[in-house]
Amino acid sequence: MTWIWNLLIGMLAGAAPLALAAMGGLASERGGVINIALEGNMLIAAVSTALVAAATHNPWLGLAGGIFAATCLSWAHWLLTQRFLMDHIVSGMALNVFAMGAANFLSKQYTNPSAGELPVLNLNLYFTLAILLPFAAMLYLKHARGGLRLIAVGSDPAKSRQMGIFPDRVRFLGLSATGVCCGLSGALIVSNARYFTDNMTAGRGYIALAALILGSWRPIPALLACLVFGLFQVLQFQFQGSQLLGVAVPREVWFSLPYLITIVALAGFLGKSKVPSGLGRY
Amino acid sequence: MKIRHWLLATAGLGLILGALYLAKVSPLEAARTLFQGTLGSASAFSGTLRETSPLLIAGIAVFIALRAGLFNIGAEGQLVVGALTSAALGLRFPGPVGLILGMIGAAIVGALWALPAGLIKAYRGGHEVITTIMLNSVAVFVTNAIVAGPLRDTSQESPTTRMLSDQTRLPWLFKSPALEISSGVLLGLVLLIAFASWLKSYVSGYELRAVGANRRAATLAGIATKKTIVWSMTASGAVAGLAGGVQVMGYTGRFYSDFSPGFGFNALGVALLAGGSALAILPAAFFFGMLAKGSAALQILGVPKGTSFMVLGVLITVFAAVRYRKASMESAS
Amino acid sequence: MPAVEMLGIDKHFGAVPALSGVDFAVEAGTIHGLVGENGAGKTTLMRILYGAIFADAGTVSLDGDPVRFADSAQAIKQGIGMVSQHYAIIPDLTNLQNLLLGAEPGWLIRQNEMRAKAGVLAQRMGFSFDWNASSAELSPSGAQKLEILKLLWRNARIMILDEPTAMLSPADGDALFASLKGLAEAGATVILVTHRLLEVVSHCQHVTVLREGRVVADQPVGKSSVGELAELIIGRAPATPEHEIPMGDGGVQLKLSQVSARGYRGDLALDGLNLEVRAGEVLGIAGVDGNGQRELFQILSGELAPETGDLIWDSKTITNTSVRERLQAGFRLIPENRVEEGLVEEWSLEENAALGAQRQTPFAKGPRIDVAGRREATEQIVSKLSTKHGGLGNAMSGLSGGNQQRFVAGRALYGNPKLVLAFQPSRGLDVEATSNFYRELHALCRSGSCAIVVSFDLDEVLENCDRVVVMRSGKAYQPAEGEDHDRQAIGRLMVGAR
Repeated sequence: MTWIWNLLIGMLAGAAPLALAAMGGLASERGGVINIALEGNMLIAAVSTALVAAATHNPWLGLAGGIFAATCLSWAHWLLTQRFLMDHIVSGMALNVFAMGAANFLSKQYTNPSAGELPVLNLNLYFTLAILLPFAAMLYLKHARGGLRLIAVGSDPAKSRQMGIFPDRVRFLGLSATGVCCGLSGALIVSNARYFTDNMTAGRGYIALAALILGSWRPIPALLACLVFGLFQVLQFQFQGSQLLGVAVPREVWFSLPYLITIVALAGFLGKSKVPSGLGRY
Repeated sequence: MKIRHWLLATAGLGLILGALYLAKVSPLEAARTLFQGTLGSASAFSGTLRETSPLLIAGIAVFIALRAGLFNIGAEGQLVVGALTSAALGLRFPGPVGLILGMIGAAIVGALWALPAGLIKAYRGGHEVITTIMLNSVAVFVTNAIVAGPLRDTSQESPTTRMLSDQTRLPWLFKSPALEISSGVLLGLVLLIAFASWLKSYVSGYELRAVGANRRAATLAGIATKKTIVWSMTASGAVAGLAGGVQVMGYTGRFYSDFSPGFGFNALGVALLAGGSALAILPAAFFFGMLAKGSAALQILGVPKGTSFMVLGVLITVFAAVRYRKASMESAS
Repeated sequence: MPAVEMLGIDKHFGAVPALSGVDFAVEAGTIHGLVGENGAGKTTLMRILYGAIFADAGTVSLDGDPVRFADSAQAIKQGIGMVSQHYAIIPDLTNLQNLLLGAEPGWLIRQNEMRAKAGVLAQRMGFSFDWNASSAELSPSGAQKLEILKLLWRNARIMILDEPTAMLSPADGDALFASLKGLAEAGATVILVTHRLLEVVSHCQHVTVLREGRVVADQPVGKSSVGELAELIIGRAPATPEHEIPMGDGGVQLKLSQVSARGYRGDLALDGLNLEVRAGEVLGIAGVDGNGQRELFQILSGELAPETGDLIWDSKTITNTSVRERLQAGFRLIPENRVEEGLVEEWSLEENAALGAQRQTPFAKGPRIDVAGRREATEQIVSKLSTKHGGLGNAMSGLSGGNQQRFVAGRALYGNPKLVLAFQPSRGLDVEATSNFYRELHALCRSGSCAIVVSFDLDEVLENCDRVVVMRSGKAYQPAEGEDHDRQAIGRLMVGAR
């Protein structure tokens, strides 16, 4: 029995950072802003959480620092796409690259090796949020004025403008939410490890985006996709070193699975995805 | 360039200077070190050329896809699988035969690695950015697994293949104790000139550009847009794979774990910096090559290596803001 | 005290004056017509009233109080509502969501309560909606009704309707006007922007005529007739259409036989369609928008493959040939949206000239581009319909919309095409350019080519085409013997009345 329980816990632990980031992606993309910079948001949040927590010995301030950093990066994405009318993909890539560099820079510059372990919050806080946020998002989209406007702007910004709505204002709020969610995700990742390493997000921002796509940009299906990916992560530990048909399965196969599944899904073999019609439009 | 573009450039410059300030390095010192480390001596120049070479070829690869309206973020993965392939073939068939097979193999495998992304984009509408990023990760896993397993040189501590023999390497164009120029650079130049003139003067180049500029109008102009998308992704992958082959057979002589220090992202920067002109890929690649070579010297000075990525991010942003604008919002109908 | 009074309105788009010194006043409780040609300024004037754009000079007053709107949201708050030509209904949303968008009662949307209120409002107008259904399923007249409900939900006292019957059958149009009459009698102010003079004469109490950005007439409708209004709009008596005797002895060049095809939503857009085009003739396809015209165009261009049926060109079956093969055979296209479908704005005029014929001489010599040949061809293309441009090597984006359309039309006429497929070719063209276009088209056809013109403007089709066929519900209908230019008869065919 404990074996199943451990499996579920492991699955949740793996899925939590993905789910948080995926909700961040939802807030962006459902409003029509293509956002591939989740990875960069998470990374900058992770390094900021680590540095602020270490400097202030206060895990709450650490979390705040992480959220603030990710939100700033998200705001930059808003500025570049909504004011400079830059291509969304290029903006996302540029911010990811910048964040990669900035995270390395900040960690090399300010990490105090003698500081000891990082003060962190109870991880259960993050796990709970990771499960609650998708449900909150679902209710918000369905019953709140802000949710309706977000969907409208993400479907047809021109017509929304005719109805007196300002797409860029709605998107600003959306991207702010992206910053908060990715901030939580990055903070969780660094809190789990208790120290920051280069590129510790390890592509999970892209996996979160993949989960969002797999879930057709809807909160609960995206959460389910994250749980499945979390399951792969657990199974990878379980089956490490074991044999399949007499051949040692390298753990890289397990690592590759989430990515391969995403490719298969995008190829349409897992049903048709309902892309927000206003993605990338004004 | 409107005022806000200048503001953006200034903000970006401010970020870089701010980083230098925090690292307690003066910009002048940094610039001087960069210059010394990249152009200050014959050996520095050789090193810069060495860094430029993969960026030139991978930059061409990304540019090809970009012209067709595709973002090939997967140059990273295509390069890496191409590199491994060339190492494997070169070890299996030593000598000039292996060299040729290795280069061809690198291109073919790179093309195959890009093919799924091209097919999915053309026939299913699945965005190539996501698929290529996914394929990048799979490429790293697969190549790391292979170099740690079947192709591993057990006499070495870290995972790497054996060294290729000298006859299985790309010949040096010029080799002296101070200055080394590989024929890989020449290969890149030839490729660039051939590609640039094809794009400009041939109907098929025109059709590629049409697909990238206005896919719908291209369809109505009788252009086979889906096939063009698949072909351009595949060609892009082939060239990126070739870049990996040149890297192994021209410079490193072997393939090892975590082979690429981010060539793919830098190549994207090169292609974006080049803008509309194919020939501009050369100076753009050289610029990024300088950054790559110089970052080692800068690290000694106390500038963390992440700074070069910060510079890259700022550069991509500023250039793309000017060049890759969506249609303006004010439309008088 | 007029409900709406706009005085001295000026508006320029760049160097082009769209409105000059326009005075426009509407009394409450009336239906007021605003008429003029394409580009006369009607939509621009209304967009100023609706707060979507700013006037360069002039004042706007509502019930005597001057107002200045910074955006549409403010105009909406003041009770102004606009139903634009392309309905602002978002298909991805439900009917209820579309109704509420922008006018939600609070931060929380109480679904049941809102559904009930919407139901009551709809009943008042005699409409009924499934509020939870997706708006993607609405027919054009359903979308129209929803748009009117949206205005009422927001307590619009001033309603602007821009070409409201463009997508409606005559029967639906009559129903719309009945509703509008009821609203006007209840005190609303209705501004009807249209170029359909019959509607103005039948339903409006007052009419304002704009021509080239200026008011040329402002009078009660009782005194005007359709002919009078038409004269005011174009500034001279409309030319009596000349009908060249079509090349009756031309053999059948193009034949569509029992063609069925699905639209992008999976519905059967073409249903066993039969059509014939003779050599030398210009065939007009009339009909209300949404009856399969676009799919027909796509079948003819080669973009869409028919599910069943055959296309025969020059006695050869071409049903499954590609766009490229058809272009090779001498087909040329004038697409509906010149920018999205026919041009690359960043490219030069020369590069744009090659689109569609890029593999053929004089644009190419084998696999290579023939720069000199291309330049010469471009010069001929721009001179065909007098395209005003700043240099052949300059970007297409520098041309005005009207000149871009001249370019696209000229390109389609270049090189002796065998079949010209035109979808709303006069969109963006003024009267002179339109008549030049048709003159060139007829000249081309006299040498044996043929042409198909799809247009939603029945008068254009009647005036300029040798023969007219009506599309309805995916089929093509021939007018009876002797009635082939009878406006009334064709109008009946369009709605299926007989």
